[in-house]
Amino acid sequence: MNSIEEKLWNYLDGSCSTKEHEAISHLIATDPTYQQKYQELLAFNQELENMELDAPPMAFTYNVMEAIRTEEASKPLKANIDHRIIKAIAAFFVVTIAALLVIALANSHTSSVHETVQIPVKVQIPTLTNYFSGPVMKGFLFFDVVLALFLLDEYLRKRHTTAS
Amino acid sequence: MQSKFSDIELIEQTLQGNQTAYADLVKRHQRFVFTLAMRFTKTREDAEEVAQDSFIKAYRSLQNFQGQSKFSTWLYSIVYTTAMTFLRKRKLDTSSIDDENNYLQIENQSGGFKNDLAENKSRSYYVNQAIEQLLPDDAMIITLFYKGEQSLEEIAVTLGIEPNNVKVKLFRARQRLKEKLERNLKHEVSELI
Repeated sequence: MNSIEEKLWNYLDGSCSTKEHEAISHLIATDPTYQQKYQELLAFNQELENMELDAPPMAFTYNVMEAIRTEEASKPLKANIDHRIIKAIAAFFVVTIAALLVIALANSHTSSVHETVQIPVKVQIPTLTNYFSGPVMKGFLFFDVVLALFLLDEYLRKRHTTAS
Repeated sequence: MQSKFSDIELIEQTLQGNQTAYADLVKRHQRFVFTLAMRFTKTREDAEEVAQDSFIKAYRSLQNFQGQSKFSTWLYSIVYTTAMTFLRKRKLDTSSIDDENNYLQIENQSGGFKNDLAENKSRSYYVNQAIEQLLPDDAMIITLFYKGEQSLEEIAVTLGIEPNNVKVKLFRARQRLKEKLERNLKHEVSELI
């Protein structure tokens, strides 16, 4: 502690030790310089305690809550979508693609130099060629490829954002 | 009307989706937060913007509030950061506020209210006037200590400095405030004579 003022502020703030507190109390009681300075700082301290706070505008709380409500409402839609829905859509596509792949393979006529394998049980595989013409199938596969690229792009972007 | 719930109870209710609880928290702390913002921005419009931003930021990060300190201490640290960012954005040279030239400018501004001199201004008016002339950091420390019910340790958390530094800063801020108050009062008396 350096100055009288610093000692007295510590005394007023209650931030000095018990020993220091006693010593300063004694000085205030006996030393007129300390007594005068103490009275001066005490009055100043009282003024600071009585200082008034600024009042915000009447609609302040309303404005804050409105801003919060607007922010909540404008949250990106993807943040509100249930992940189970996305998983269900993904599962639908995976199953569809798998089923189409199986049918396509089953309907394809491959020739081999070896003997043809005879399946003991005759399996009835539905011929879906009536349902899927060439252009429709191509269009569907094109859509799947675009969707897969889009999802890959989203995933890579997300990973990049997290990393940065 | 102030809510009967504590800050922690209101936070819990807010986290459960009750926005009215957060409105109660805002009502409870708005006056002090606004005053703190005023210490930095010096204008009501900017202070309103800073105070509003602070409450919105606090709402967004409410889940991160651990409850290790008082909610007010946590909130004031958000106000401090928001106000500092605001000042940086505005490129306001805060250090020049204490310059003699600016002091004279502030004096001249108050000179426009000569008609009010006859009015019996309260001491509180002069204290607030002197606080407005302080550096934002000085004004904030004094406000936090006297009106924010914050201990030196809590102010240290808010400002991100050591408690001993807060003690030194508070001492210097009070000295500067006292000087400004004395100078302002002397000026007012000479104007009256």
